[in-house]
Amino acid sequence: MHKILMVLRREYFESVKKKAFWIGTLIFPIFIVGIFAIQILASVVSPDVQKQIGVIDATGEIAQPLADKLAENKLKDESARFPVEIIDAGVDFEETRLANVGRVESGDIYGLVTIGPDVDDKKNFRLDWRNIGDQATENALESALQDAVVGVRVDRSDLDLDPVKLRELTRWASLNTYQVTKGGETKEKGFEDAFIPTMIFVMMLYFLIYFHGYAMTRGIIQEKTSRVMEVLLGSISPNELMAGKILGIGLVGLTQVSIYLITGWVARTAANFWVNVGEMDRFLDTIAPAKLLAFGVFYLFGYFIFVSIFAIVGAACNSDQEAQQLQLPIVGCLMLPMMTTFYFVANPDSLAATVLSLIPIFTPMVMFMRISVLTPPLWQIGLSLLLMSGTVYLFFRGAAKVFRIGTLMYGKRPTVREIWRWAWS
Amino acid sequence: MPGPQPTYYAAVAPLVGEEHDMDTAIALTDVRKTFGTHTAVDALSFEIPRGTVFGLLGRNGAGKSTTIRMIMDIIRPDTGSIEILGRQMDGAVKDRLGYLPEERGLYPKMKVLDMLEFFGSVKGLKPAEARRRALPWLERLELADWKDKKVEDLSKGMQQKAQFITTVLNEPDVLILDEPFSGMDPVNQEIFRDLLLEINARGTTLIFSTHVMESAERLCNQIALIDAGHAVLSGSLASIKEKFGSNTVQLEFDGDGAFLESIPGIENMHRSKRYVEINMTEGHDPQRLLEIVTGRVQVRRFQVMEPTLHNIFIDQVGPGSDQETGAAERTNA
Repeated sequence: MHKILMVLRREYFESVKKKAFWIGTLIFPIFIVGIFAIQILASVVSPDVQKQIGVIDATGEIAQPLADKLAENKLKDESARFPVEIIDAGVDFEETRLANVGRVESGDIYGLVTIGPDVDDKKNFRLDWRNIGDQATENALESALQDAVVGVRVDRSDLDLDPVKLRELTRWASLNTYQVTKGGETKEKGFEDAFIPTMIFVMMLYFLIYFHGYAMTRGIIQEKTSRVMEVLLGSISPNELMAGKILGIGLVGLTQVSIYLITGWVARTAANFWVNVGEMDRFLDTIAPAKLLAFGVFYLFGYFIFVSIFAIVGAACNSDQEAQQLQLPIVGCLMLPMMTTFYFVANPDSLAATVLSLIPIFTPMVMFMRISVLTPPLWQIGLSLLLMSGTVYLFFRGAAKVFRIGTLMYGKRPTVREIWRWAWS
Repeated sequence: MPGPQPTYYAAVAPLVGEEHDMDTAIALTDVRKTFGTHTAVDALSFEIPRGTVFGLLGRNGAGKSTTIRMIMDIIRPDTGSIEILGRQMDGAVKDRLGYLPEERGLYPKMKVLDMLEFFGSVKGLKPAEARRRALPWLERLELADWKDKKVEDLSKGMQQKAQFITTVLNEPDVLILDEPFSGMDPVNQEIFRDLLLEINARGTTLIFSTHVMESAERLCNQIALIDAGHAVLSGSLASIKEKFGSNTVQLEFDGDGAFLESIPGIENMHRSKRYVEINMTEGHDPQRLLEIVTGRVQVRRFQVMEPTLHNIFIDQVGPGSDQETGAAERTNA
């Protein structure tokens, strides 16, 4: 036990002392915090800008109601967010539009709304502007236009309708705030809300398992090429060496995951304090404590399952190039669940998702994916943990055997069949 | 050598075991190891008494490294038994051994003292204790100024010294060195020879393999000569020399020595540039030889002596074999 601890201690401190570890570790939280910061910043800073809107109206009926509608949208200082300049349509409204587009380009007006004579024509309404990514402005303009046009249509119709009442009803239907929810009772609001954070987490799982797994391979190859391996084996057994390395590198990974989880938790707490934006809630749900815990657990299982295979690759190879080749099937096994994310997030309870989440090498990512979208039946989670534990045990045993034979093998790389034979001998 | 002396207590805390033999450090009985179709070691048996300096001699590829790796339990014999300090190998026994493999290995990115601490700690020492023991050694081998440098910044000679320290931090009962002098410059060879003898004088059994007979001759009092996996000779150097050496003559002369071939009673001859070493057959008197040669050539020196290990080696395992023959060293062994 003492010797395992000593190996663990060396692996751990030699890793965390490296600059690369800290750079690699900090990039992700900085990235996430950056996204938060930008969102917060955007929600705090951007609204207080006036955006001049030019309106050319060939009907002569819509411009004013549209301006009235937009005037309801105010900045904090009670001035209009969208001051409207009604531009006379002239003889040919299209010519007038072309004459005024230059003002958009120069920034004189933020956007130019052009309304043709036929309110029933789909192509009748047009917005010329530069910042096509400004979704909020587009939505505001569209919604105001909607109201104005409906009012005109009602006035023109023969029906004897109360325009005010009708407008309310129409607004009701067009508000479109009920999104189709995925997974019934979950808090998830829609596919993107489930897909993007899940994808980020699954990618993190992939990178963490891969990086720390491959650190095992690289470490073993370095010990072989620097011939330190035999010096070590003069002091400790191959099993002790492997156990120490697995635990040491595992602890490095756990340190990294802890930093991520703590960052996530801090970000969540901070966001709860400072930001009161409804939009944020959906995002915060994705870093709920239970989900972070699940992430930690499935990371550990994933690491322990794959690190044995990475150890086998290291023991069997003499150079990084050889190892790169031999590890390809492992990378494949890790990539597969990532590629299924799109489908499985939409169908977390499908037969394929259920089966794949119970195959131990796919469990860490697929089961985590399912949990993060819609909690699967508890017996399935329990069974998957049991199956993974068994797999970890089997893989450790096989890896220990290959390790013992492979660590002192130099020269030709053994074939996969030979490795297989060693593992189960 | 100047500077403070390392704290070195040989054979502290003898192993507690059922029936351990205090006189034998290592005993191999009928050990056999094959790699695929190649038999590396075959029916090998010998004993290494405690406190001796034991030389495991043989040509390249004779099975020396394989034997040493089996003693260290790095590879396991197919059949036969190996007893170390009177017991089967286990973790506790391993802690009492020091091992320097033929292929040296250090962690290039680690700091010297950190690395020594690590190697000491995997021999069962507490890290602080390993550090404490490493410092005097670093002083003595003039590496003290380098203790916080990375291993890769050390010269080759300094790395050899650091490597040596890793093998003695646990104050081993038995120190096993595979070709310890290969790749060393003469100065380092001399330093290490003295160190090894000093360590042996304090009670550590020393085992080393070599194909350089001069090293063995100067250090060993026990040897085993192996060839093709078999022990050809084993025992104390004195008894082996006695067995071979009652009638060896070194002859230095001016003139044509071709006639020597025809003299009866000469078992074999080894010619050097300046002298000839002659083994006489049993029952032939070296004095008679002197009489013959004085009549034919100008004798400058005539000396009856025991044979060198070099010549015994060549007699036993064939001519030209103690040189680097270029025969491929089996690397998977």
